[in-house]
Amino acid sequence: MSTRSVSRADARRELVLGCVTLAIAVGYYLMAIRIQQSDIADVVGAQGLPKTYAALLAMLSIILIARSAAQRGFPAAPDAAPVTAKAHVTRGVAWRVFGMLMNGVIYILVVPWLGYILSIAALIAATVYYQGGGLNRRVAAVAVGGALLLWLLFVRLLHISHPAGIWPSLL
Amino acid sequence: MTEFLAALGSLFTTPIVPAAFGGVAWGILGGALPGISPSITMALLLPFTYGMGPTTAVVLLAATYVGAEYGGSIPAILIGTPGTNAAAATVVDGYMMKQQGKGGEALGISLYSGFVGGLFGLLVLVGLTERLSSVALAFTPSSYFALGVLGLSVIATLSGESLLTGLMAGVLGLMISTVGTDPVTGLNRFTFDSPELLSGIPPLLVMVGVYAVSELFMKTGEPNWEKASREDARIKFPSLPMWKRIALPQAIGSVVGAFEGMMPGAGGAVSSFLAYNEARRWSRHKEEFGHGSPEGIAAPEAANNTVACTALVPMLSLGIPSSNSSAVLLGGFLMHGLIPGPLLFVNHPDVVHGLYTGLFVANVAMLIIGYLIMSPCMWLVSRPKPYLMAFIYALVVSGVYAIQTSLFHVGLALGFGVLGSAMKYFKLPVLPMVLGVVLGFVVESNYRRALVISSGDYRTFIQDPIAAGLLAAALLFTVAAVVRRMREA
Repeated sequence: MSTRSVSRADARRELVLGCVTLAIAVGYYLMAIRIQQSDIADVVGAQGLPKTYAALLAMLSIILIARSAAQRGFPAAPDAAPVTAKAHVTRGVAWRVFGMLMNGVIYILVVPWLGYILSIAALIAATVYYQGGGLNRRVAAVAVGGALLLWLLFVRLLHISHPAGIWPSLL
Repeated sequence: MTEFLAALGSLFTTPIVPAAFGGVAWGILGGALPGISPSITMALLLPFTYGMGPTTAVVLLAATYVGAEYGGSIPAILIGTPGTNAAAATVVDGYMMKQQGKGGEALGISLYSGFVGGLFGLLVLVGLTERLSSVALAFTPSSYFALGVLGLSVIATLSGESLLTGLMAGVLGLMISTVGTDPVTGLNRFTFDSPELLSGIPPLLVMVGVYAVSELFMKTGEPNWEKASREDARIKFPSLPMWKRIALPQAIGSVVGAFEGMMPGAGGAVSSFLAYNEARRWSRHKEEFGHGSPEGIAAPEAANNTVACTALVPMLSLGIPSSNSSAVLLGGFLMHGLIPGPLLFVNHPDVVHGLYTGLFVANVAMLIIGYLIMSPCMWLVSRPKPYLMAFIYALVVSGVYAIQTSLFHVGLALGFGVLGSAMKYFKLPVLPMVLGVVLGFVVESNYRRALVISSGDYRTFIQDPIAAGLLAAALLFTVAAVVRRMREA
């Protein structure tokens, strides 16, 4: 990949970041001005610092957007070191993060029903599979063993209750 | 000194010894896994400390830090991959020694040098923090506000490549800290009528999310790391002639680590490379550096473990974390209702002195466990990465739930994992955001309290000499960082 495109990639990334944070700042400010006013408020009030933070973030975002817009017009220096493959964040990273997140979200949704042991075993198996470990008897054994180990650690040793699921009501 | 001696007595009445040993073992295992930094190793342990006493909890976390700094050198020597950033300098000569068939000797030098550096760092920690804390009694709300601002000014140093993005991350953290109940009026802010958010977002969840969860997310799909053979893993402690040879580099590493550990942003990685360079400068065997020099291992490893103690100096005495790991330890303090800073020594001297004792035991434990744990360590590092990642994910999810038996908290931690991943993608530094979350409440509550006391007169921040001094220091710090960046550019 040419050094010119690396510079533009970073500038594009900063432009996106600036727009996202500017949107966050605007949204946060709009929520801040809706905070109730109190009769016992001090000089600053409950809205004071949130509005300040929003303004700060907006200002910094605008500076970042302006900087990235200016940098997009500049090619990288001719002798700039080429970026290695590791330094590039591939497009697949968003999907990887999404997949791992979904594993966790599904765990949160099913654990009140299936209970802790079954749900955590499923989480382990799903994560192994998602990480490229395949789906076979070995994975199942590791998932069940890991779930039992964690149950022993949290529920038996540390006496921290985890959801039991619908099973007690069926007995 | 009398308090320290009294704290030694607590060894026999509180679980400090098992906490220190357990923390070191966990830290070595975590540090030995490439990509699992000391801060992540500590963050994984945070939820487990919830049901412990405060002294036990902080000793466990601090001992984890000590163990992880050594643990990072194991894969650095055996497979040429540092387990932690701080162990990167150890790869240079450590891996070369392993290839020369001296892997066991290299591990022994690393372990012994870490022990020496850790004890030196502990002496510095004990000597400096008590003195700094004596100023505590004169602190007013204005002073605490200025202290918080000084802590935030550290962002200028911790911002990595770009000061602008570092400041943005810091402000994001401050915004997160406003979620919950207003500290003065008691009004709800940004809670979306959710009862779980009334008490705010615990810094612990932010740290577990942005450090541990995001690392798991981002490592998905990366190739597995190289394996090492068991024969390489037999530790050999240095002989007497070798002890004499590595004494000077250990001293150099310890002194460098002591100074750099207290400097925000420097941390183990910077100090280890600085120590390496200085050791080479003063060595009689300069030509051996880079080709398997034992001094090239002794200096950075002594520096690493010195940093593990001296990084706690600003955190304990001023409440300002100087590194990711001390930020996680700060989270541990907060979780147990302890506010690090000047009044910690007044209100909870037992915790502080228990921590000193625990660190002493942890450094001794590191020698013992470091020798015994090699086989299980090698077994663990050799496991296929998918299994390790899956188990860590399950551990994180279970641990976060255990804090308040809340699935909402688990969802929050996952959300911060996504945020941490996004920050890494956009090259937004994480530590400034964590600083903002941790210090945000201190800054806001004391700022407004000071104005209430002064009836809205902003001159109170300048009329208070301590506050004025700290604000001036914050400004100086920030300007110095900006000037340095401009010169480097």
